[in-house]
Amino acid sequence: MNNNHFSRYAPKSSIDIGVFLCRCGGNISDTVDIERLKSSIDAKVVKDFENLCSLKCQKNIRDIILEEDLDRAVIAACSPITHEKTFRNHVAPLNPYLLEMANLREQCSWVHSDSDKATDKAISLTNAAVERVKYARPLDTIVRKTKKSAAVIGGGISGITAALSLAKQGVKVDLIEKKPSVGGNMIKIGKVFSPEKLAEECALCLFNPLINEAVQHDNINIITNAEVKSSERKAGNFNLLVEKKPRQVWVDRCTACGNCAEVCPIDVPNEWNENLMMRKAIYKPFPQSVPDTYTIDEEHCIKCGNCEKVCNMNAINFSMKTEVIPLNVGSVVIATGHKGFDLKKRPEYGYTRYDDVISQMELARIMGVNGPTNGKLQRPSNGEIPRRLVMIQCAGSRDEKPEGKRYCSKVCCMVALKHANFIKHYYPETEIIICYTDMRTPGMYENYFRYGQSNKIKLIRGRPGDVTRKNGNLIVRVEDTLRGEQLEIETDMIILSEAMEASDGTLEVAKLLNVGLTEDLFVKEKHSKIKPVNTDIEGIFVCGTAQGPKDITDSVSQANAAASKVSELMNGGLEIEPLIAEIDHSECKLCGACIDSCKYKAVYMYDERISVDPIACNGCGICVAKCKNNAIEIMGQTDSQIYAMISGMLKDKKDGERRILVFLDYIGYVAADNIGVNRIPYPESVRIIRITSINRLMPKHIIHAFENGADGIFLGEYPDNVVYSNIQEKVHEFKTQLIKNGIDPDRLMYYKVYAPYFRGLAKKFYEFDKQVSKSLDKLEAVLYKASSKDI
Amino acid sequence: MKTLKIGENTFELADSIINDLKASENLGLLKCIQCGMCTSVCPAASHTDYDPRVIVKRVLDEDDSLISDDIIWNCFYCYSCHSVCPVNNSVCEINQILRQKSIEKVDGIRKIASFLAYGDSFLELGIGSIPNDFFNELIKDIGEEYFELKIHLDDIREELGLGTIILPENDLNDIKKILKKTGFTDRLTKIRRVKKDEEDTR
Repeated sequence: MNNNHFSRYAPKSSIDIGVFLCRCGGNISDTVDIERLKSSIDAKVVKDFENLCSLKCQKNIRDIILEEDLDRAVIAACSPITHEKTFRNHVAPLNPYLLEMANLREQCSWVHSDSDKATDKAISLTNAAVERVKYARPLDTIVRKTKKSAAVIGGGISGITAALSLAKQGVKVDLIEKKPSVGGNMIKIGKVFSPEKLAEECALCLFNPLINEAVQHDNINIITNAEVKSSERKAGNFNLLVEKKPRQVWVDRCTACGNCAEVCPIDVPNEWNENLMMRKAIYKPFPQSVPDTYTIDEEHCIKCGNCEKVCNMNAINFSMKTEVIPLNVGSVVIATGHKGFDLKKRPEYGYTRYDDVISQMELARIMGVNGPTNGKLQRPSNGEIPRRLVMIQCAGSRDEKPEGKRYCSKVCCMVALKHANFIKHYYPETEIIICYTDMRTPGMYENYFRYGQSNKIKLIRGRPGDVTRKNGNLIVRVEDTLRGEQLEIETDMIILSEAMEASDGTLEVAKLLNVGLTEDLFVKEKHSKIKPVNTDIEGIFVCGTAQGPKDITDSVSQANAAASKVSELMNGGLEIEPLIAEIDHSECKLCGACIDSCKYKAVYMYDERISVDPIACNGCGICVAKCKNNAIEIMGQTDSQIYAMISGMLKDKKDGERRILVFLDYIGYVAADNIGVNRIPYPESVRIIRITSINRLMPKHIIHAFENGADGIFLGEYPDNVVYSNIQEKVHEFKTQLIKNGIDPDRLMYYKVYAPYFRGLAKKFYEFDKQVSKSLDKLEAVLYKASSKDI
Repeated sequence: MKTLKIGENTFELADSIINDLKASENLGLLKCIQCGMCTSVCPAASHTDYDPRVIVKRVLDEDDSLISDDIIWNCFYCYSCHSVCPVNNSVCEINQILRQKSIEKVDGIRKIASFLAYGDSFLELGIGSIPNDFFNELIKDIGEEYFELKIHLDDIREELGLGTIILPENDLNDIKKILKKTGFTDRLTKIRRVKKDEEDTR
């Protein structure tokens, strides 16, 4: 981008402008009097052509620009949305941004039938473009090259999948895992459901090869026992500081023989087995841990030195210190996952009060062959095989009570069925009852549900109110809502299907990276439909359960999507239109108001300098109004360009003529074009100016317009969630300013524009034209009264 | 078989409950998913045919017969349903509103006639107190302590540094005025009439 200060781009005294008019095979010339139009334009060259977009004309335009040594070009033809790209090529060797278009077809000849009035309007549209182009400055397309490296935070199935995909696309990946081993939740669950095979498959057997592949991949560096501690953005890249906790064990020496753990005197609850058994203070989380090495749990170790004595490899070293690793990466993928809902927050279900009330994850560990019972189904209280087992769904999910989660956790119905089917297979004598509110097994999962029914899993529709104990049995109180009958179910064991909630790591990382969260505290995607893995910060992506409850299938899909989005940034670089915010560093006082105001988090401070991320910025202009030092301009929409456009549109206004300036965002402009394409008429008073957002406008522009003869101002924009509240504020501010300046606020209006509802926009143009006319009549009456008094 | 005719599927009854002064703000009535959690903990449901889930279902089905149905008088306001509902609905509150409708529209007034003495206590003493009619019952329920408390109430109050329980004449008159203005007195008169009619017919 050009680094010169924008104020130097005042028009030089003589700018040679060429205006090229298109007759569009009669589409324009049948309504607009081209000869009168030509004679009303003040430019060095004014020429008309039958079909400007043709290749023949491309040569003509270029020849004229060269022969006449033109500085700027105006093309008065169709909508810029149709052909701006074409004409930018046509005006070469001029810089493509030294071209301005006047929309004489969609917004003039196709909507007005009165030739005189249409010609008048065509003249003002063309004049406005001529005025504006004088203030145009040459701009270059921004090519953003992002460093070909990424940090993936979280080493569960999502993180490993994303890392592998990136590595295979040639991206260097640092995979950061908080725990001593990668694997996350998937490695703990033992079995995964397979709706195709109607069976439960071994989770570890599916996941382990991926982990090994990641370990062996040259492009992947796995950093375990580590957390991100700080993050800074710089020119589209990220500087992260990662803190790696000391293992007190040399990874390359440890052979994982386990002698150390045998002599360790300290017992600690084994979190990998949901605290259902104990481990030692020197431990390997689980037999298949990666890296395959022991770790000393600093919090519990008493440094007795027993382990050091028995280690044949001299792998233990108590003097290891926390290591800080700086990473500079082009992108960040958040794959920090979820945790199970704390079931103590639902005390009525007796979790921790009764030993035989456990969570689904605890059941998964009990059923796991590498778990506390070596895979045997046993009641925690007495080790017996339960005669009956009741599963309570929605424990913490779909719950608006304090501490509950409002959302459906999405996987629990399938998890309950998985465990039920699996248990039915090995323990056919054990009765299983699932108390559910709704069984949610969408798509192909319904097959698996039917499979559960055929396995004689009993389903009771009702949400249990509480769990008690009577005569040595646990009692689940529930209404069988399909029969309308209160029921007390006796049982040996109760499994609560715990809700999924964002992990602590997810919350910490989101805060560190300044990434937005949803109301339910998951990482918020930029758009749930069309940008499901983007976060609100450009270059940071999210996948897996950090983004919301989902199963492994969806997590893997999302991880691959995130990887391909990262790869888009890195392979070849992105070309970006330069119509974005530019900071004048000589005026900037580093107050940070722009950073706070930016809804796209495009503005950030690095090294005592405000920077704008060119991909994130969409040129909306909110920051311009917030900057007290006038140090920001939007390229292509500078103040001078906006003033020129307004003045141009109002030039040569006749007595008694009404002119309404209509500012439309992209969606609004497309809707207005559609009015033209469908030949729906609207008042000739309407003059449309395209802007990125109403937020770019300031009271000074509005007042300037009224002072220069505008009769009304119509603001139209799609009510995008991100900036809509700012639009409302703006409109309020404008109206207040109008009142202060003695202008009827009815002469300004805002309208929510939707692309398919262009008819509504046309109707609004009519209504507003009438509203303005009424306001002017009122004004005239007042003035008349005042003047007659003077007499 | 019932036919659900076009235009019949309205939410007038539900709306009238949601907009009632007695309803909590954000009452989750429309969000009920008929999970039955309320019924599972409802003491009235375990002893009678009362089913709080069904009450909500009938309200959402625009079943006006609910207002004259004796079933709504089975709830005794323990608020268990209220405290467990995952969508912040409250069958307990709904019942109170339905009963008021019953009092206004049908013969619900007879259902509250036996509580007349509570209201009379406000009129006579300006305070709420347990009517003398229930004295023996309470001694049976609570025991001799209740008897002792009642007998020595003035002494106990004095010991605690509290004044006499009898309100000054002026205050009592103010309260009476308020009760008159708010329609409380009229309502009691109406209840008294209904009660008398019932006793007469008996």
